[in-house]
Amino acid sequence: MTPSPTNAIEVANLEKKFGDFTAVDRISFSVTRGEIFGFLGANGSGKSTTIRMLCGILLPTAGEGFVAGHNIVTEPEAVKHSIGYMSQRFSLYEELTPAENIRFYLGIYTLPEDTWRERMDWILEITRLKDMRDRRTRDLPPGWRQRLALGCALLHRPDIIFLDEPTSGVDPLTRRRFWEFIRSLADEGVTVFVTTHYMDEAKNCERIVMINEGTIVATGTPGDIIARTVPEKTDADLNDAFIRLMAREDRIQ
Amino acid sequence: MRRLRIRELVRKEFIQLFRDKKNRPLLVIAPLVQLLVFGYVVSTDVRTVTVGLLDHAKTAESRMLIDTFGANRTFHISYATDNARALESRLLKREIDIAIKIPPDFTEHIRRGETADVQILADGSMSNMATVRIAYAGAVIDRFNERLMAELYPMRMDYGRIDARTRPWYNPNLYSQNYFVPGIVAFLIMIMTLLFTSMAVIKEKERGTMEQLIVTPLQPSELILGKTIPYIIVSLAQMIAVTLFAIFWFNIPLAGNVFLLFLAICLFLLSTLGMGLFISTISATQQQAMMTTFFVILPAFMFSGFVFPIANMPQLIQWLTYLNPLRYFLLIIRGVFLKGVGLDMLWPQFSALTMIGIVVFTASVKRFHKRLD
Amino acid sequence: MKMLTIRAVARKEFYHLIRDFRSLYLAFAIPLLLILLFGYALSLDVDNISTVIVDFDRTGVSRDFIRRLDASAYFDAHVHLRNADEASHYLDRGWARMAVIIPPDWTNSLRADREAPLQIIVDGSDPNYASLSLGYMTQFVGRENRRLLADFLNRKGRASINPPVAGQIRVWFNEDLESKNFIVPGIIAIIIIIVGAMLTSLVIAREYENGTMETIRSLPIRAGELLAGKAIPYFMIALIDVLVAVLMGQVLFSVTMKSSFWLLVTASSLYILVALNLGFLISIVTKSQLVANQMAVLITYLPSLLLSDFVFPIVNMPTVLQYVTYIVPARYFIDILNGLYLRNVGLDMLWPSYLVLIVMAVIFSLVTLVFLKREGL
Repeated sequence: MTPSPTNAIEVANLEKKFGDFTAVDRISFSVTRGEIFGFLGANGSGKSTTIRMLCGILLPTAGEGFVAGHNIVTEPEAVKHSIGYMSQRFSLYEELTPAENIRFYLGIYTLPEDTWRERMDWILEITRLKDMRDRRTRDLPPGWRQRLALGCALLHRPDIIFLDEPTSGVDPLTRRRFWEFIRSLADEGVTVFVTTHYMDEAKNCERIVMINEGTIVATGTPGDIIARTVPEKTDADLNDAFIRLMAREDRIQ
Repeated sequence: MRRLRIRELVRKEFIQLFRDKKNRPLLVIAPLVQLLVFGYVVSTDVRTVTVGLLDHAKTAESRMLIDTFGANRTFHISYATDNARALESRLLKREIDIAIKIPPDFTEHIRRGETADVQILADGSMSNMATVRIAYAGAVIDRFNERLMAELYPMRMDYGRIDARTRPWYNPNLYSQNYFVPGIVAFLIMIMTLLFTSMAVIKEKERGTMEQLIVTPLQPSELILGKTIPYIIVSLAQMIAVTLFAIFWFNIPLAGNVFLLFLAICLFLLSTLGMGLFISTISATQQQAMMTTFFVILPAFMFSGFVFPIANMPQLIQWLTYLNPLRYFLLIIRGVFLKGVGLDMLWPQFSALTMIGIVVFTASVKRFHKRLD
Repeated sequence: MKMLTIRAVARKEFYHLIRDFRSLYLAFAIPLLLILLFGYALSLDVDNISTVIVDFDRTGVSRDFIRRLDASAYFDAHVHLRNADEASHYLDRGWARMAVIIPPDWTNSLRADREAPLQIIVDGSDPNYASLSLGYMTQFVGRENRRLLADFLNRKGRASINPPVAGQIRVWFNEDLESKNFIVPGIIAIIIIIVGAMLTSLVIAREYENGTMETIRSLPIRAGELLAGKAIPYFMIALIDVLVAVLMGQVLFSVTMKSSFWLLVTASSLYILVALNLGFLISIVTKSQLVANQMAVLITYLPSLLLSDFVFPIVNMPTVLQYVTYIVPARYFIDILNGLYLRNVGLDMLWPSYLVLIVMAVIFSLVTLVFLKREGL
């Protein structure tokens, strides 16, 4: 399969089995460059597994995928230079300060040392952590840690960032600010791939995919999906669409 | 392989190591405690033999016998009684090491040219010490016999006798510390590298930061180096501290070449680091890693010749000890400290250490993937 | 204290233990391993001392001497070398632990009623080994000299003269003088510490690390109930381990307990209680499994091994450390083990150690309860 140059991510028949259990069951989709793309589903539906395969953390058991033009099965390491990843757990080093965390990743991504100071200031600026730069990460409240995690995912200016449930456990104000920030990123041409189980947040995405038990149940823009699935309701939202889709699944089974 | 990545990994590891207050006991207190313990506690020397005495004869000869014991600095007559039961009770309470009973007809036998039996009851609880005490007592009796015979019999009693001149080599005063303290260096290095390396990797896994690292272009080899170098440095620092302490506080002789020691340590580290990495690949939680490490360290120590001699072990186990890098390391350490021998004598141990180290380390690195599954 | 609550806690702890395969394995495998290890492989006895001979005398007398030396169970003296350098070589490499050098004209000296020196070099690195080797050598030479004396007296026609004194040695408590007889019983103390203290030191710390401690605090459970419930599974396992150890000691190594079995069970139970409380205390204070483990090793395991008169005599330690041993519970338990296994004594002799263990068990329980209460239970 040859990926199209306008696509940041392309996935065909991607599958992941853990023994007998199929977590991701032959899904296919694509993400255009600069798009804010949402991956919606309940807990355990296969979202995190998919994202991990795209990032090269897990190896697919079948199917193909291309991220930033590189094959995730045969050249996972090449993929990693162009992506940033923020995990569900905001994996940060607790005993280190934000500045030290940032410095660490600057080194891991082998950015030239003479650019470090400027890059560090930039990240601290956009994550609004300047005043907390020397406080232990363990002592920061969750909203601030979320920003730090995001900052660490971005500091090497990747073309694509993967955010796995980035707003879990975070207050509504911070959440809104977060999505404003994501939009500004997308405006600069960064492709944003987000997974979430908050249906109301998904309307921030340009296109979404709904996944349930490892298969895709809907694709398209939020508006389209709602119109298709719940045509009779005028003020329906994605929650309604999702419930309708799940009901259909039940009936089919 | 990018030096920058390794450097930042090492830096982060050090920050974590020293900021986590919970590590302080291990880094500082543990070595100190071990030094104290193995320097002052571990010793089965027989320095004093506490004696309980029952003299039923009370003659000049019996007193001479008692004096011969008393004159010997090793024997300390702490209790004298006329009551056999009281004496035996002391032995039963372990207040005395040996009980000497001189029979009432002691002098009569001697005057008649016969042999008088003196009962020596020894507390055999700690058999190795008991054996030595018994040997000492026997030697005192032999000496007494010579003195008495020289007095009793006017003829010359000079007979051709063997004069055993014994010399302990390497550790002339038979100090236990000289034997054990060098081994502590081995113990510390093993704990430091084995435990900390495996835990360092697993903590990343448990906290989720491993996932974050996997997503970066970081190479497994860089990660391995980043995780092991800090602990190499720390254990080397500990080694230097302990060696200095050993030499200047315990006055342990360092007869050999210190660089040889250094080389041995580096080779030994290959094995321990490899083992630590291996444990990290087979453990999912810190607790499992700790338990597995304990399970590895215990036999490694027991069967290394550290406290218990390998020569005493069943043949099968003796063969198994050839796989234990600690066995070779201890031979080298003791050889360098006490015997002052060089590579010409120790090359078999060095080769063995190198081979084991390479095998273990390579096997572990192979298992070390950059994947979560 | 409600029995129902305690049972519930105990049941949960049981499940936890059974499902944590490694901990369970450790709880049962380690005792077995230790007994096998210490019984079969680890010994402080010395025999077959590899000795090299350099015989410059080379007469029938010297050869007979060497033959008798080799025939002794303690010495393995069949390697003959040509000179002192070769002997030195062997010792340096560790191929031999002792060297006996017979000088030239040795027999002539003996025949001429002069002192005949015998050079004995022993590898002093391992002082225990060296002392024992020297002890056996001294005894051997002593026997040889007694024979020479008897010959001398015979020749002078004074055969009726006997050496004045003969020491009749009787060994009490460990008649065969085998190290396993005091090492194997002592393992029981080590086993209890590992299962009773080291394993339990992780138990409460784990709850802190998991966050379940918070939940426990909100429950209507009292400190005493929590402790009792958590203690029960480990107490039972430890006791089973003790029984297995005693059995194995008997069956595999013929190390027999001479005194009352129930005294052993009582003492073991007391010591287990002390160990459990220590483990819990460490767990509550450190709140971290890694630190708890290290602390347990430092505070419970090492002292039990080293400061309890188990293998290393307290009398040899510096005075300061000797005072410290008075607060090491293992010291008293080892004393009881020694009494029951080797000395065949009963409560009449051992009551002080029992008393101390009881007091320690009570005190440690109270302290642990206090600490737990401070945590908000």
